[in-house]
Amino acid sequence: MHARMDTFSYDDVVVRKFLWATFIWGLVGMLVGLWIALELANPAFNLGLAWLSFGRLRPLHTNAVIFAFAGNAFFTGAYYATQRLLKARMFSDTLSALHFWGWQAIIVAAALTLPLGFTQAKEYAELEWPIDLAITLVWVAFAVNLFGTIWKRRERHIYVAIWFFIASIVTVAVLHIFNNLSVPAGPLKSYSIYAGVQDAFMQWWYGHNAVAFFLTTPFLGLMYYFLPKAAERPVFSYKLSILHFWTIVFLYIWAGPHHLHYTALPDWASTLGMLFSVMLWMPSWGGMINGLLTLRGAWHKVAEEPVLKFFVVAITAYGMSTFEGPMLSVKSVNALAHYTDWVIAHVHTGALGWNGFLTFGMIYWLAPRLFQAPLYSKKLAEAHFWVATFGILLYVAAIYSAGITQGLMWRAFDATGRLAYPDFVETVMRLMPMYWVRVAGGSLYLLGMLVFGYNILRTWMARPAMYDVPVMQAPPLAPGAAPVPAPGPAGEGRWARFTAARWHRRWEGWPFLFTTMVVLAVVVASLAEILPTFLIRSNVPTIASVKPYTPLELAGRDLYIREGCFNCHSQMVRPLRHETERWGEYSKPGEFVYDHPFLWGSRRIGPDLARIGGKYPDLWHVRHFENPQSIVPRSIMPTYAHLLRRPLDLPGIQRKVDAMAMLGVPYGEALTRAPAMADAQARQLASSIASAGGPADLADREVIALVAYLQRLGTDVRGAATVTAQAAASPARSPGGTR
Amino acid sequence: MKLADVMSAAGLASYAVVALLLFMGAWVAVALWTFLPRRTARYAAVAQLPLQDDRSAMRTEE
Repeated sequence: MHARMDTFSYDDVVVRKFLWATFIWGLVGMLVGLWIALELANPAFNLGLAWLSFGRLRPLHTNAVIFAFAGNAFFTGAYYATQRLLKARMFSDTLSALHFWGWQAIIVAAALTLPLGFTQAKEYAELEWPIDLAITLVWVAFAVNLFGTIWKRRERHIYVAIWFFIASIVTVAVLHIFNNLSVPAGPLKSYSIYAGVQDAFMQWWYGHNAVAFFLTTPFLGLMYYFLPKAAERPVFSYKLSILHFWTIVFLYIWAGPHHLHYTALPDWASTLGMLFSVMLWMPSWGGMINGLLTLRGAWHKVAEEPVLKFFVVAITAYGMSTFEGPMLSVKSVNALAHYTDWVIAHVHTGALGWNGFLTFGMIYWLAPRLFQAPLYSKKLAEAHFWVATFGILLYVAAIYSAGITQGLMWRAFDATGRLAYPDFVETVMRLMPMYWVRVAGGSLYLLGMLVFGYNILRTWMARPAMYDVPVMQAPPLAPGAAPVPAPGPAGEGRWARFTAARWHRRWEGWPFLFTTMVVLAVVVASLAEILPTFLIRSNVPTIASVKPYTPLELAGRDLYIREGCFNCHSQMVRPLRHETERWGEYSKPGEFVYDHPFLWGSRRIGPDLARIGGKYPDLWHVRHFENPQSIVPRSIMPTYAHLLRRPLDLPGIQRKVDAMAMLGVPYGEALTRAPAMADAQARQLASSIASAGGPADLADREVIALVAYLQRLGTDVRGAATVTAQAAASPARSPGGTR
Repeated sequence: MKLADVMSAAGLASYAVVALLLFMGAWVAVALWTFLPRRTARYAAVAQLPLQDDRSAMRTEE
């Protein structure tokens, strides 16, 4: 008797599309990265164009390489591996197409809106609310397609690679939705529902786990599938891969607060983040060791096969960056590294090495199979490998040096107890040689990308006139068959009967239950940090003197966001001596209760601005925006002369105030006459600038609003020592709540 | 009484400790379960899945 066999074919059309999208967007993202590296080395590369300035292009670079390059690479591998591991065509070709075209449309929308200054000001979550909605819809299409494929699979066991895909899909959905909750204030403008400390917490809960569940777990899934394929041997330890998976799911979600050490985030949260980050070292290295040992007995192939070379460096880079990550999360190390280029070097070890090289290895392996033609040139692939490896080494060596140099110079005191380098620009100038080396390293990596593209293009050109679409056969899973065998014999002990129930296999066999367990782990961990942060009053002691921004300052704050100033300037003075000596009084949680979104920043390419208010005259700011080098000769800040020309949108300020009021910001009179109030303040400020010898016609220009905002920063708490937390009758400010 | 009152009164340390214990317990359970000796043979078979996926779903000639 013959078992019934299903016949089916795999949808490789969508895999090929994602492959090309990976290359094209990778090229764009890396080109933008190289350009902004040039802008830091020489501000003339900003070309005096607002849309080309560092503050606007930097988010385009990060979004392009993360969501466009790495995202499309993940989808390429996931669509290929999922179908084959489950012995089933994707659930719906329509959903596959919707996913592909929807994702590319989102990328195009990002590429258009970010340089134009439409941003939420949250790192890796900059895209404005309509695009966020589109991401949600496309992600749901992807999820339905993947879970549908699992549902109609013909292979009982769900291989560990797919566990990683599932964890990525569900966790990214949770992170994306909750971090992006906002109140629209226009077609492409919104304000986060969270404020200050709570917004910072949510952002880095998201930000760190975007790294975890967009750049780590999906690529671990790809590693567990494509490495055994390329090495032609099974993963070293399947047990270790299971442990790797669950440990990462249990631990990663807690680690976000380590991005906020010594900030106004409560100490308990940052300590908790540090502890879990240190623990993460274990599963990460377990995964790295599992990957490298998969090549046991096959190392001779590494010398011959560029695919394996790429994989070995990728896994090594994963190991290096996941060792460095926990190290950076230790508070004393973080005190030195935070805000410096050290973090940029760390990120690029992971992105260029782990994500980039795993992608290249995977595509070199896939291209001959997808295009049904031999790889055009193995020698070119080898050349790509060496050029890109050398590029990474140049990049990270230079930027690690730059980061540590910055950190040490910022904290250096001379023999008299004064700051050794009080002039911030002096610390910037010291980095210039390293910035040029970074340009060289990035150029090499980009050159490798071009070689890669040429090789893949020539492989594609040798494709057959019509692709062979193999028809596969596999027996269907028996409908309703329990994936769990019968319990053990009655004579066995209780433990034996318990283990015979094979709980883990139940979860694997019932993917929705398995998925629920993953979601539960992620949600419980998140709530354990989020609920106390939001609900315990002592976390955000309020300060009586802190008041909402005036309508004009609010408009200026939005210009600060539009121009991406937070990409170079922090607004957070840490309670460290060298910080308070340089910038002033350290920042308190209560200072930020009206900050939707928070603007603490994560880098100091330029000085911290938390206490900038009143430090310089109004005219100083106008001149500085017009031509930064005329005020600070060696400054690398781009010109913002357009702010002196562009008219201020006075009527639009009412919408901003209304949206803020919806979030609980206590605006009184401004609720009915925000434009008039803004106009009055602008005229007063413009008059003061004109009387100081500045331009006479600035009252209706954008620069006035930005100067008003900057002159407000830090002034609410200057001389105010009235922290009145516990006595307040209302809880710590929560989303939508009031003080 | 609001949730904020309850949570503020309960103290901070308890949340972190309870969650840590829960997660540690779950992790230990998974680790023990994974490394049960009786599962070795099964895992060895499952680990072969990526290597067999083109073969076990048989290709047919049309």
